[in-house]
Amino acid sequence: MSNISKFADKWVLVIDDMEGMRSQLRMSLTNSGFAKLHIVANIREALERMANNRYDVILCDYSLGDSTDGQQFLEHLRTNDLISRNTIFVMITAEQAYEKVVAASECAPDDYLLKPFTASQFNARLEKLLERQAYFASIDKAADAKDWTRVIAECDRALPTKNKYFLELCKTKAAALMHSNRPQEAANLYREMLALRPIGWARLGLARALALLGQKDEAQQIAREILTDSPQFMAAYDFLGGQLASSGEKNAALDVLQKAREVSPGTMNRIRELSTLAVSAGQPELAESVMRQALQKHKYSPVRQVNDYAILSKALTSQGKADEALSVVADARKDFRDEHSQIVLATSESVAHRAAGNDELAEAALARAMAGDINALPAETVTAIADACFALGKEDEANKLLRHAIQNNPEDETIKSKVHDVLTAAGKEITEADAMIEDSTQEIIRINNEGVRKAESGQFDEAAELLSEAADRLPNNLQIVGNAALVIALHLVKSGNNPKLLAQCLRYRDLLVKKSPDYPKITQIDSQLRLLQSQKTGQ
Amino acid sequence: MNDLYAAVIHDVKNQLAELALRLGERADAQQEMLIAMNAARRLSEMLLVIRQKSELLNVNPDSVDTADFLMILAAEYRELFPALVIDIETEHTPAFAFFDDALVRLALSNALHNACRSARTRVRLAAREQDKMLVLEVADDGPGFPDSMLENKANTPASASNRGTGLGLYLARKIAELHKLEGRCGRIELSNDGGAVFRMFLP
Repeated sequence: MSNISKFADKWVLVIDDMEGMRSQLRMSLTNSGFAKLHIVANIREALERMANNRYDVILCDYSLGDSTDGQQFLEHLRTNDLISRNTIFVMITAEQAYEKVVAASECAPDDYLLKPFTASQFNARLEKLLERQAYFASIDKAADAKDWTRVIAECDRALPTKNKYFLELCKTKAAALMHSNRPQEAANLYREMLALRPIGWARLGLARALALLGQKDEAQQIAREILTDSPQFMAAYDFLGGQLASSGEKNAALDVLQKAREVSPGTMNRIRELSTLAVSAGQPELAESVMRQALQKHKYSPVRQVNDYAILSKALTSQGKADEALSVVADARKDFRDEHSQIVLATSESVAHRAAGNDELAEAALARAMAGDINALPAETVTAIADACFALGKEDEANKLLRHAIQNNPEDETIKSKVHDVLTAAGKEITEADAMIEDSTQEIIRINNEGVRKAESGQFDEAAELLSEAADRLPNNLQIVGNAALVIALHLVKSGNNPKLLAQCLRYRDLLVKKSPDYPKITQIDSQLRLLQSQKTGQ
Repeated sequence: MNDLYAAVIHDVKNQLAELALRLGERADAQQEMLIAMNAARRLSEMLLVIRQKSELLNVNPDSVDTADFLMILAAEYRELFPALVIDIETEHTPAFAFFDDALVRLALSNALHNACRSARTRVRLAAREQDKMLVLEVADDGPGFPDSMLENKANTPASASNRGTGLGLYLARKIAELHKLEGRCGRIELSNDGGAVFRMFLP
């Protein structure tokens, strides 16, 4: 009976495709004292429920019929931030699938339950998981808000007790350090953990940190060693493949991801990575077969993205199968009707029409792709539109789009390598592509420095104008947006209140907070705004 | 272990689970339901190990809270053997230790199952650190291990006895040995001290 009070206020979602299992779980959860239960048969229903309700516990069967499995669903939830870190996700699995589930440790559930299990087994586990949930509540909340500074502070506060959560706290802190772009400290922390025990995830963590520190060879070496010791460690394949791809070794990267596929067919993220790579490495047949197979398996499943169809369409176009590409685009239109999807698909359509020699249709599709606000699009889509522009000989538009993609995402190496791919596919020399990327990067650094210099020499008006123009054009470039907000704030403190400028400053500040709540410049901006406030009240 | 055997075990396991389900619907057979369920679960766990060639068995040690680990294990067997007292001694347990949770759980639940079947009134679960090894101990107050089992040092499944088929012990030994650190590896020790004492040493 003691469980009743403990579990009664917890919201639980159960996902199982078998009717018998659903009623068994309902009975046993009700007997254990759970009162707030939703039980669904598939992922679609689960997502509908989750859109309207915050669950404390999600119990999901690994095998959900022929379609998307529990692991792929979990990965979908985590990559798209659809569940809080604090939500307990328990995977229920039969012994045949157990190995597969446990191996996918990149995106691990909080616990596994091996079928069959009794109510008391389940309760004992859940009690421990709820205890952990309560302990990590504030840390997880900060992580959900991407407030990494607070995550680190909270971990630091808890670590000295060296309690049973010690390793998990270290792991959480190291991940937060990586998010805050402090790879050196993260590497040190991973090394401390590894001194206790050579655990797989800590080794991979160290490899990631070293890669960020530019020690790419060592990072790859560690990943290779992990795979020698545990060939089932899927995350190590993905990391190694990504490393090789970003250093231009596309075929080696493909080999690694292919090897991963032999061990486990994999989740959509890996399929995407592999087929994108295959297209750009000149192996569109491979991309086609891998992506077709995946989309067939995930028919009707919400883990598909519109970009998956764009990749497939590209793979087909590259093989001269423009008609098939167009029918893939038409298929995708049935399921993806939002504005962004229309742009992505219009881009694919344009490229396919052009390949088939229907330039008029290609122009019309491209015009539709380019009609919207470029800042509302992910950089990946922007580079795809540039690719379509090149195909139609619109070099100027293409270059403008690529410069924008780079300048709006100055820290993103993946975007740079995508831009590189588009340029070389359009027939540019590698040196030319490198020079263009470098020039775009330098241009925005110059604008930033110029703005800061003007502000330092008291020319606030000009500085604010220069940086605001850049910030409006590149709202994802945090350095520019941050400096724009700061310069306007300084300007206001100096020359008195101006409602229009203040609104602009606050808009930039809010943008920063939204994208990166612990961005260091926010404190500086806020202290200027407080100063301004006190001036106002002083008047 | 060949695929046919695994398929047979799998089939029996499913039938046991089905039996448990049907017993669960009857108000007068809860204890029988638990027995069937537990048998199915144990087969499930063994299949995990048996399905793979033993040299491919993957050990993934991670940080485990030993006290919680023993508590969950005890909860399962208290339900199954309500007449027994199952004590947990964790005063000397480190806050966290490193081992493969799933595999060690399998090894220990086999030992615990045998202990519960042989015990008169009590079973004791304990964890402590000794010579840089984690010691997990399952002791009962029954008649103790037969001499033949104490003497069986070979890594082969022992012959059937009143303490089960010996397969569980064989697997436990394998699982312990697969835990390796800096040249040391895990082991199992059996002894008699007021009953049977099963000890798993993990580096």
